[in-house]
Amino acid sequence: MPCALLGDRASGKTTFLGLLYAAQVRYGTGVQDDFRFHAPMASLGMMSAVYEGMKDGRFPSATLKEEITELGFIFGYLRKIVGKLPYYIRQQNWAHPFSTLRFSAYDVSGEDIEEFIDTGIASRPLIQQLLKSVVVGVLVDCSKMTTEIDTPVYKKMLRYDSTVAKLIVAFQTYKKQEYDRLKDSGIHPEPPRIYPVFVMSKFDTLHDDVLARLGLHRGFPEGKRQRKEYAEALLRVFVPQTLSQIRGGKVAGVSMDKAAYFLSWVRTETQEGMDPVGQPRIVRTGFAPEGGGEPDFSYDEYVNFIEHFREIAHKIPDEILEAEKFADQAVVRSA
Amino acid sequence: MPRVVIIGERGSGKTTFLGLLYAAQVKSGTDARDDFRFHVTYESLDEIAEVFQQLMSGSFPDAASKEGIHEIRFHLSYGRAGGFLSRLRSRGSAPGEAASFHFILLRNLEDELSPFRRGTSGTNGKLRDILDTDAIAILVDCTGLALSHEERAAGSMGKYDTAVESLLSTIQRSRSRDLRSVLSPIFVFSKFDSVRPEALRAADVESEPPGISKAGPRSAYARALLSYNLPKTMAKIGVREARGLKFATPSYWFSWVHTEGAAQGRPPKVRLRRSGAIGWEPDYSKDEYIALLDSLRTIATHAGH
Repeated sequence: MPCALLGDRASGKTTFLGLLYAAQVRYGTGVQDDFRFHAPMASLGMMSAVYEGMKDGRFPSATLKEEITELGFIFGYLRKIVGKLPYYIRQQNWAHPFSTLRFSAYDVSGEDIEEFIDTGIASRPLIQQLLKSVVVGVLVDCSKMTTEIDTPVYKKMLRYDSTVAKLIVAFQTYKKQEYDRLKDSGIHPEPPRIYPVFVMSKFDTLHDDVLARLGLHRGFPEGKRQRKEYAEALLRVFVPQTLSQIRGGKVAGVSMDKAAYFLSWVRTETQEGMDPVGQPRIVRTGFAPEGGGEPDFSYDEYVNFIEHFREIAHKIPDEILEAEKFADQAVVRSA
Repeated sequence: MPRVVIIGERGSGKTTFLGLLYAAQVKSGTDARDDFRFHVTYESLDEIAEVFQQLMSGSFPDAASKEGIHEIRFHLSYGRAGGFLSRLRSRGSAPGEAASFHFILLRNLEDELSPFRRGTSGTNGKLRDILDTDAIAILVDCTGLALSHEERAAGSMGKYDTAVESLLSTIQRSRSRDLRSVLSPIFVFSKFDSVRPEALRAADVESEPPGISKAGPRSAYARALLSYNLPKTMAKIGVREARGLKFATPSYWFSWVHTEGAAQGRPPKVRLRRSGAIGWEPDYSKDEYIALLDSLRTIATHAGH
């Protein structure tokens, strides 16, 4: 199941992937052993480098960011029934103990999609992969959110809102165009079905008083609906165009209503009374029986993220296969 | 897709009007009630987002933004009644009533009208769109409302009146054989906060228009202003033709956006006001724009969409 990861420049895409990898490593080595993952060599090499840097307190370097265009993992989720079987049986391959899901993240910028919309030609294979994306992850950078209208940051936030809104509309347009194209070529596809995932990145940069004035506590509440309401309360104030176009997807025929929302933050070192000079350093956790010396980040949210895909893997594999089948047909026809 | 042609004199606030209409959509489209949604086409978003950014940062649209905007396409979806249907809608089972609108902006009325006069209207796509329009938003710049009949006849308002009347006649002529054709006039009184009190007195109306809920008195108020300032246009709309294009009952809207800090050599800035707990928005006649958005539903129905 390919997953396109959309985000503006410096919205934290590589850090997000690095933290996801860190969460996979920790979650995949837990005593419960109901989640496993496998990474192909190329992805492993890249993510190991990011992970190593983070364990050393460093954010991904610009060079590393440049190199990352595609990453793939295979997630394995222990099936519920199999989980109740004796350990010996569980270990047998014939029992198919894990539902697997191929998670591929493509780093796609607004310009990439724009090119396709303007010309109708996807020059980069990466864009062709977008066609297969059933899950689209959008990073919303919380560090751009401010309430001080007389500051340059406020103008930056307005611009950022337009950029993300355009990114979302570009993706919707792309999906709709592809759907119409398939229909015109005699294939009868299902209406575009996507499972959007919104990650509120750099959440730690939001001030407590801002959250308090919105009646929000720091951190997402339990329950899908409550999480959605929490996220929408933030989007409504800081990036309203983005929220309006997430909702507007349904009007355009590409619903984003089944969106899931996650928070991402990583604690950084601060010197009291001093402004940080250069790139901030990541705070690392102390050593404990379950691991340690790792970046101090929103681990629970990343576990929620991984678990979100468990639900998709268990419940809708046929839909995904169907979507992939149509996408393959489209690629064959266009070739 | 119903078309709405926007006309107005130079500097009457056409781009600001579109920007505020978009701002009202963003506001309604992000409401917790989730009973209105809209989608902007990618090309349109590129242009209107720029105007929105400027308004939200306290500036009026600059020349480059104005030049960039020629047409905007919005897809609007109005929610159904709450309760069970509303819950279904949120699950994607029962989308609300939807209509797409194509707003066409006529930047310079005189220039745009000249091909009609030359008789070349049928060959140009944009001109065809204008002739086939479902609604026409006529912006009336309230800073230019006349103080006397003489001033109107000699001033720009008189010329504008003639140009609008001429455009309406041309549209009417081009659709004389279309028996079911309806054109909805939408009058927008722009910059109403800057109207000269004498101009209101000359038209024999109060200083404030009646509220949106008082439809009758509000229409009477607007008609009084228009009859004084755009008599030819009003006469044109008032004539009931036996055949061909018919004018729907006009709707009237009062637009204003409060400004601050206008000093010598400095353009006025859009005043921002608090919206909700910590948000900001331009200090404008939001209720008028939200009601206007709702009224577009009627135009879509007339247009058969």
